[in-house]
Amino acid sequence: MNLFIDYFNFRIVSEYTGMFIDGIISTVWISLICLVLSLFFGVFVALMRMSSIGIVWRIASSYIEFIRATPLLIQIYIIYYGLPELIGNVFNELQTGIIALTIHTTPYMAEIIRSGIVSVPRSQNEAAMAVGMNKIQTMYFIILPQAIAKLISPLLGQSIVLLKDTSLLSIIAVFELMGVGLKMFSDTVIATESYMTTAFCYLIIYLMMLILSGYIQRYLGGNTHNQAH
Amino acid sequence: MEWIIAKWQVLSSLSPFLLDGFLNTFEVSMFAIILGSILGAVLGILDTLNYRILGIIINTYLHIFRGTPYLVQLYVIYFVLPSTEISWLQFDSYSAAIISLSVYTGSYVTAIVSSAILSVPKGQEEAARSCGMSKFQALYYIVIPQAIKLTIPAMANIYVTVIKCTAILSVIGLTELTRQGETAILRMPSDTIFIYFLIAILYFAYCYPVLRFANWAEKRLKS
Repeated sequence: MNLFIDYFNFRIVSEYTGMFIDGIISTVWISLICLVLSLFFGVFVALMRMSSIGIVWRIASSYIEFIRATPLLIQIYIIYYGLPELIGNVFNELQTGIIALTIHTTPYMAEIIRSGIVSVPRSQNEAAMAVGMNKIQTMYFIILPQAIAKLISPLLGQSIVLLKDTSLLSIIAVFELMGVGLKMFSDTVIATESYMTTAFCYLIIYLMMLILSGYIQRYLGGNTHNQAH
Repeated sequence: MEWIIAKWQVLSSLSPFLLDGFLNTFEVSMFAIILGSILGAVLGILDTLNYRILGIIINTYLHIFRGTPYLVQLYVIYFVLPSTEISWLQFDSYSAAIISLSVYTGSYVTAIVSSAILSVPKGQEEAARSCGMSKFQALYYIVIPQAIKLTIPAMANIYVTVIKCTAILSVIGLTELTRQGETAILRMPSDTIFIYFLIAILYFAYCYPVLRFANWAEKRLKS
């Protein structure tokens, strides 16, 4: 037992258990909020990207390409320092972090949604027009329901990426799982326990996501080959 | 006009530092991409050979490295491994960066390679075996040449992810692009956002061609 404590001191970790649980909860919350927001804006960006009006799809496309080709860390810094200069100190760190992550995730979601919409056969569109539906009705009743079934596994994969990306918010002092690990390290100066526990907590969330995504895919029965991981 | 002149002065005084950082970023990412691809290709091929225990080990490796954020992996490799007091695990920041990034790249490449090999029709391997080729020859001459084509778009996307991950290396003090920018900001705090935009543009110049290549390869593969 004592030999084991030399390598991993459970007593110190147990003092921080409550904080780690809080960290897990806030990491999951932040990613859920960002997931909902980025899905909501992602639909709009995807529709803009597919628009036939030149300026509209160029704006959407340059937004998508710029975000995809620059690191998240730089985007977080730009928003963290740039937002207060633009509109003053309206948001706290947590809200700034959520805004940055949403801006980062939206293009990825938009690309996934767009590939889902494109994969619905053209004849579906024409059939809907033939029975007298307008563009919005076609999108809402015919195209999106068919697209969503194909989207589920790439969307789950992207949500796992989003969950991992929340760890970068610790750099702008948002309280989440990585932040708990950093705080424990600065309190106790023992690297093994602080960082291994953090990694272990992320693995727990990841495994739960895997089980959940397996269940959702079986429930929907759409995609038989697994793309989520 | 004055604004442009002021920014031009900032740009010209910073450009040697930023270019230096950019070269470091390029170097580290190239090392990680090459080492990670070799590691991933070997593990991916081993994964398709259907050895039970090997498969379990490779799968555990995949889930551990894809289930934790890169930031956590970097901290574990840079802070936890040296605290074990084993002499060859005492990394400086440069080798910690390259090792962690290569292992991280490898975990993604493994999955791409093994799924590409599995997507080559089984009849190809059987035909090669019935011509009298050994298992290794069938893999080397028949299956892998067909599989490589399939991996290219996914690989290019992973390489972009890896290049973007090098920005995180600034937290352990490696003097790459982001770190050089942060040092520059300490000298010129009034131009914080301008400097971050310069860094973003440099990353963009590096990643965007790779992304375009990925799109192009994907389109060619489909047609």
